[in-house]
Amino acid sequence: MISKKEQRIVAIVWIIGIIVVWELLSFLLKNVIHDPMAATKLPYLHTVAMTFFENWKTLLEAGAVTFSRAAIGFALGASVGIILAVLMSLSKTMERIAFPYLIVSQMIPVLGLAPIIFNIVRDMNVSRIFIAAYITFFPVAVNMLSGLKSVEQDKKDLLFSISANKFKVYQKLMFPYSMSYLFTGLKIAAPMAVTASILVDMLGSQSGIGVKILYSLYSNSTNIFWASVFTSAFMGIISFYIVIFAERLCLPWQNAVPGKEGVRA
Amino acid sequence: MNAPEIQIKNVSMVYPVNNGEDIVALNDVNLDIQEGEFISLLGPSGCGKTTLLRIIADLNKPTSGSVSIRGQSPRDIRLQRKNGIVFQTPVLYDWRTVRRNICMPMEIMGVPKKERTARINQMLDLVELRDFGDKYPFELSGGMQQRVGIARALALNPEFLLMDEPFSALDEFTREKLNEDLLSIWSKTKKTVIFVTHNIPESVFLSDRVVVLSPHPGRISAIVDINLPRPRNNSIRETPEFYDYVTKIRRSFEGV
Repeated sequence: MISKKEQRIVAIVWIIGIIVVWELLSFLLKNVIHDPMAATKLPYLHTVAMTFFENWKTLLEAGAVTFSRAAIGFALGASVGIILAVLMSLSKTMERIAFPYLIVSQMIPVLGLAPIIFNIVRDMNVSRIFIAAYITFFPVAVNMLSGLKSVEQDKKDLLFSISANKFKVYQKLMFPYSMSYLFTGLKIAAPMAVTASILVDMLGSQSGIGVKILYSLYSNSTNIFWASVFTSAFMGIISFYIVIFAERLCLPWQNAVPGKEGVRA
Repeated sequence: MNAPEIQIKNVSMVYPVNNGEDIVALNDVNLDIQEGEFISLLGPSGCGKTTLLRIIADLNKPTSGSVSIRGQSPRDIRLQRKNGIVFQTPVLYDWRTVRRNICMPMEIMGVPKKERTARINQMLDLVELRDFGDKYPFELSGGMQQRVGIARALALNPEFLLMDEPFSALDEFTREKLNEDLLSIWSKTKKTVIFVTHNIPESVFLSDRVVVLSPHPGRISAIVDINLPRPRNNSIRETPEFYDYVTKIRRSFEGV
């Protein structure tokens, strides 16, 4: 086990390393190989950073459009996933009927599905939300179901012995037990929902970070392109950490390790 | 003598196995248990002692035979929530503090909030965990966790305390301490206790009667009355009478 402090040092070393390598590669491309396209292929990281700070307002606005739709879709998809998992855990028949279709649903490429959905609803926001939800529900349903199914028999026997009804069993045991599984699914799904939402942007949206990426790519404004890509990456990372933060809040017993008290001070 | 509180008549339990040879977990078991009695079901693994307990608790249905508890079926007794069960592992809910673990059965029962708090405090006192109410299970030692399990079982003030090898995962010192604690709790609450164990000294120390079961097929091979004076504490383990009982029961196994 490495300590928190060591982890931080490792992270910082990595970041510095990547920055140095990036700048070095850009320098090589431009001044050693004398590639005339150097600035397009791999611009200096510091110029990308400057572009980001010059354009932060429009980038964040575009990001917010995409991110908020992703978030709504994520919430919807997560709800559907949870409901499906509960239904499948309640009835073996239901599981047998639904599960193959769940798998099939994941074989349809989102790239193909998104234009179809857009053609039907003719609304960019609805499409974005739908696709984000579509991406989200599967990992949530599968993880939640595996949580519901792994509750130990003893724990169920205990409630059976005091003749608790089905509702109470889910309320007192099945749901709280499956929470950590649910969060595993949410952690997988969150960055995927953001990616999906960006993807839908690119299908001809008027706004959103995906539009920024696409247009800057066409118009050869490399710095904006990279700045947009970084913004997208941040959005994915942020979505992941929001879920982690929510997990900490909801499952305090998960992160509390014996003897941890006092260390924080 | 009063009519027995629990009457077990010709109970058999057969688990069908795919290859055709069924496993006979219990074969024609007959047993009467008196009200307020502390009784141990003792035997090696595979003798069906846990199965018998689970049948009394209505967690399993016997293949044949019947169990009558105060003239009612185990199912009726379960629906009236008269059983407190302690399992081999503490079976605590990790996401609940000690207090809320003890509280859980009362939530199912719909006990009023005020009453719950008072009852939890009383239970924490009983199992001597006053200062640990707000801890999570993982913060407790194995022995403390099992005491929470006992407190939770007693929280509903059940009429029957059914214990399935509750101390088997604990070390010898903790086990003997908890044996003593259990007797003092029992003397305060006067429940009928059915205690499953594979530990001979433990069964002698705790019980009014030790029911010895033997395997293949599971059946009662002896019932030994333990006439040691009560209240008992751990010093009784050093007396010749105690030793005699242990020896007697051990020999009853050799005879099988």
